Amino acid sequence: MTIMTYPVFFLSFFLLYGKGWRHVDKTGPEGNIDAFLQYGQDAVLVIGNGRLLRSWDINVGGLNWEVVLDSGSFQSACLVGQQNTVKQVAVLKKAAISLHYLSNGHQKWIENLPDSETVDYQTVYSGGNGEVYVLGVVPHSHITVVAYSVEDGEIIKQYLVEAPWLSNLQVSCTVVSQGVLTCIDSATVSLYTLDLHAQSQMTQMPLQTLGLELAPGFHPTLVSSQPNPSHPPLSEFLLQLGPDHYLLLQLMHLNFLYCQAMLVTFVTTGDKTVAAVMSPKNRTVKFNEQLVNLFSVETGRRLLDTTLIFNIDPNGGKPEKLFVQAFLKKDDSVGYRVMVQTEDHTLTFLQQPGRVIWTREEALSDVVTMEMVDLPLTGTQAELEGEFGKKADGLMSMVLKRLSSQFVLLQAWISHLWKLFYDARKPRSQVKNEVTIENLSRDEFNLQKMMVMVTASGKLFGIDSNTGSILWRHNLDNIPANAAFKLMVQRTTAHFPHPPQCTLLIKDKDTGLATLHVFNPIFGKKSHITPPALTQPILQSLILPLMDQDYAKVLLLVDDQYKVSAFPSTKNVLQQLQEMASSIFFFLIDSSQGRLSGYRLRTDLSTELIWEVIVPPEVQRIVSVKGKRPNEHVHSQGRVMGDRSVLYKYLNPNLLAVVTESTDTHQERSFIAILLIDGVTGRIFHEAVQRKARGPVHVVHSENWVVYEYWSTKSRRNEFSVIELYEGMELYNSTVFSSLDRPHAPQVLQQSYIFPSSISTMEATLTEKGITSRHLLIGLSSGGILSLPKMFLDPRRPEIVSEQIREENLIPYAPELLIRTEWFINYNQTVSRVRGIYTAPSGLESTCLVVAYGLDIYQTRVYPSKQFDVLKDDYDYMLISSVLFALFFATMISKRLAEVKLLNRAWR
Amino acid sequence: MMLPHREQMLLLWLFVQAAVTVTWCFTDLEPGPGVGAGFQAQANGDRFKIEGRAIVPGIKTQDWVSTARVLVEGEEYIGFLRTDGSFAVNDVPSGSYVVEIVTPAYRFEPVRVDITSKGKMRARLVNYIKTSEVIRQPYPLQIRASGPHSYFMKRETWGWTDFLMNPMVMMMVLPLLIIVLLPKVVNTNDPEMRKEMEQSMNMLNPNPELPDVSELMTKLFSGSKGTSKAGSSSSSSSKGTRSAVKRR
Repeated sequence: MTIMTYPVFFLSFFLLYGKGWRHVDKTGPEGNIDAFLQYGQDAVLVIGNGRLLRSWDINVGGLNWEVVLDSGSFQSACLVGQQNTVKQVAVLKKAAISLHYLSNGHQKWIENLPDSETVDYQTVYSGGNGEVYVLGVVPHSHITVVAYSVEDGEIIKQYLVEAPWLSNLQVSCTVVSQGVLTCIDSATVSLYTLDLHAQSQMTQMPLQTLGLELAPGFHPTLVSSQPNPSHPPLSEFLLQLGPDHYLLLQLMHLNFLYCQAMLVTFVTTGDKTVAAVMSPKNRTVKFNEQLVNLFSVETGRRLLDTTLIFNIDPNGGKPEKLFVQAFLKKDDSVGYRVMVQTEDHTLTFLQQPGRVIWTREEALSDVVTMEMVDLPLTGTQAELEGEFGKKADGLMSMVLKRLSSQFVLLQAWISHLWKLFYDARKPRSQVKNEVTIENLSRDEFNLQKMMVMVTASGKLFGIDSNTGSILWRHNLDNIPANAAFKLMVQRTTAHFPHPPQCTLLIKDKDTGLATLHVFNPIFGKKSHITPPALTQPILQSLILPLMDQDYAKVLLLVDDQYKVSAFPSTKNVLQQLQEMASSIFFFLIDSSQGRLSGYRLRTDLSTELIWEVIVPPEVQRIVSVKGKRPNEHVHSQGRVMGDRSVLYKYLNPNLLAVVTESTDTHQERSFIAILLIDGVTGRIFHEAVQRKARGPVHVVHSENWVVYEYWSTKSRRNEFSVIELYEGMELYNSTVFSSLDRPHAPQVLQQSYIFPSSISTMEATLTEKGITSRHLLIGLSSGGILSLPKMFLDPRRPEIVSEQIREENLIPYAPELLIRTEWFINYNQTVSRVRGIYTAPSGLESTCLVVAYGLDIYQTRVYPSKQFDVLKDDYDYMLISSVLFALFFATMISKRLAEVKLLNRAWR
Repeated sequence: MMLPHREQMLLLWLFVQAAVTVTWCFTDLEPGPGVGAGFQAQANGDRFKIEGRAIVPGIKTQDWVSTARVLVEGEEYIGFLRTDGSFAVNDVPSGSYVVEIVTPAYRFEPVRVDITSKGKMRARLVNYIKTSEVIRQPYPLQIRASGPHSYFMKRETWGWTDFLMNPMVMMMVLPLLIIVLLPKVVNTNDPEMRKEMEQSMNMLNPNPELPDVSELMTKLFSGSKGTSKAGSSSSSSSKGTRSAVKRR
């Protein structure tokens, strides 16, 4: 059993794996874990900057108790034990220390710390002798030591120790042995020791006298180990003198063990404590192969047969942390497993002699954006396809080529049949279809795709959508801490032999400077194409439907001088751009100034401002702007009404839905507004304001409708609102849509509903041709993903049902939308904290691929109109064929009978 | 007779008034939630605790608490269940909240909890449409699971009863029964009755010139079988038989 806690990379959730359970706490600082202590079956956590103290039962996964602590910023916590048992936990705050019983959380005592305004209390220590030591520091002056009695919280002793070199206790000091405070200082290059019980002065011990030296510029650290909180820590401790230079020291004799290591930790099992050391196998080959060895702490000798080999992924970065799970074998020797955390947030769990039990990519818990890319055709299929693209070179050679490719296909088919036959003889469990990059190919209905995921830490993943196995990973270097990512598919797999191409735009949010990473989404390899260096901050990027001669779509980047650059920028592209310039429009949003502005491209790749809309930033701020998805198809142009007339949809591909929230957050005055603006002309078609409402607003914009969700502060409930746009009973120009030539404003219909749950994200399903009806996919706070038919969000839902309306199949209006668990597409598998839902069409019109990402990643298929183009899994071939045969024979027999009867009649 | 009615009216009126005063009392308390946002901003405002217990009948708490959470107004405040099924959500400012226990295995009804600025608590049924309606629930909360979630729709199975109850089948089977049974019930040999029936048949078939659909079909199918000759001969033979019948 392993128990881990993850305040991983500034996320505020935690995972506790016992017998496989997990709880997800609140987002933000109130859910942050400050400290994690474990004793036996209990895990004690301090949460939310010392606001809550919780104890969990590790076996059950339930809470033992939870208490609210007094306010004050949290400093440190430790378990307090006496006579071999641990009964209390001590929590040190900025100005107070409190002791709580481990059994029920009740507070035993709380004491204010003396001189807490001047002294910075940082650590608390208990050696199991009935005293709790609180150590504080006045930077560059002295250390304050206060000892409390565990029984009643009385101050037993209190004294000051001169330490003018010390600024931070937690960084440079630790308690070893029988209460000896040991500190390291890089300025004086000395080790200081202080016996906490003796009230003496610090003894200085220059490292030079020990024959040691410090790596230049390195801040040394000390690590000690206290295997049992009711006993004092071990007298052995670790001193790190350089990035890969550790020392194992023993306090009494200061004899030491020198080791060149990357990582060292203490491990305790039973009453034995050993040090696990990770060191490179070969000095010359740096980092690639690491050895983990166990060393006896007392003697400093290497334990025999404890070597474990860890191979580092050269792309993954250095190991950062080493966790060891040790256990005593039957013969009293130490066996162990290790977990290595590397810089790219990968966890690897290994067993001796180096077998990987599992690896986990923790970076995937923070996916920022993703795309689904079609898999390439197999080589033979591609060859067949490629034949049509190439220029004809003679009739004879064409025929020969065709014959040869047909032969290749036949060969492939036979080998496939042979494989089927061969596999059929084996038991099913042995047949493994390992997915690797080499054998990836598109399936018949294009249901299997490559999911390219971009994580906040700058690691890219390629995941097979069918199995969820990670096929490639690529760690990007030099990612700024607050980077924004945009992933674009420039070339799909449809243009064989050109490889598919994805471009990732990485933008530093502070400076606006951006870089491009161009790669092949199937193999994850960096493309040989060198992207242009971007020297100016980038305001906007847009991908155009234009293609260069290599079928790569053109990416336009607008910098802060409103100059446009294209990638790829070949002659061909620039010429096309010049021709098209007058019809290329784009918009920019400046949310701080509340400005929306539309621009047009000029032939010299400069831009001109066409329109501008100012949303007063002191009243409301722009929260989100949603356009339509470029790969969306709408099959039906209108809706047939009950009287057989057609209500045409207003399908403006340039329409933008702009959501604003009021800056005034008071419940009575707050409001949200939605603006529907044409992105080309800047014409505002509609504005809807929801008074007494606040965000977060979730918006979906598709076809001729916009659905948004907000919180109604007046009635304290979540509400959905839907806006649908119609042209009216006749189309203005049914062949081409142009924003510049649409004289009539669309008809706007709107309706609102109550939704009985809060939501985390929302997206609409997408299918190949847009024939299938649409569903909304809603991530709920309970961890379910609801597939809500769009039919329920239809502003034409009537209050009074008439005959015509019944014919139109409209559902009568009901104010409350229902959440039916049958509509949960993830059943009982909760997907925590869904940050986004990605939908992609598949080759089947009925099927839409869905990926929900957040803490977890969930991929499934949805069928909004059921599987109308696929036979059911349990389609009864037997019944159908037997009925057919029965009917056939029945007709035969009855015909014969009829003939006989006729003949008999004729004879009569 | 009149008096009790009036008495009833009076009672009703009293009740209404009482209800009005009660709701007035609570609307008086409502500013709590109203200023909720403001309270959150100033962190030192009074914080309260929502307590209760969740029960899944017939299931040990250890088996389900590890998957459960207590959500207060979405994910604004989160509590966890203790090993005995009880829970407490700490640090909640005054206001009105929907408290929900979520677990993938069991369904719990949400409860609305109102906390006044003085810390008085009450629980009531959630009604999103009439938000001011008060149907009291016990506080501390006692939330009982109303059964497991049903995630799957029952697949339609093919059965004889379904088949027979199908309207199309009924439409086909009933006339068949009539055709088979009617001659047994009604004596067709009775000449008067026969005449009557013939008349009614003529009424049904207003245009005798029009080819009969069934006849057309038989023609078509027998034609497709092979030679059209056979078809014509058979039809002629059928005509012949008909004439023969008539003659008889």
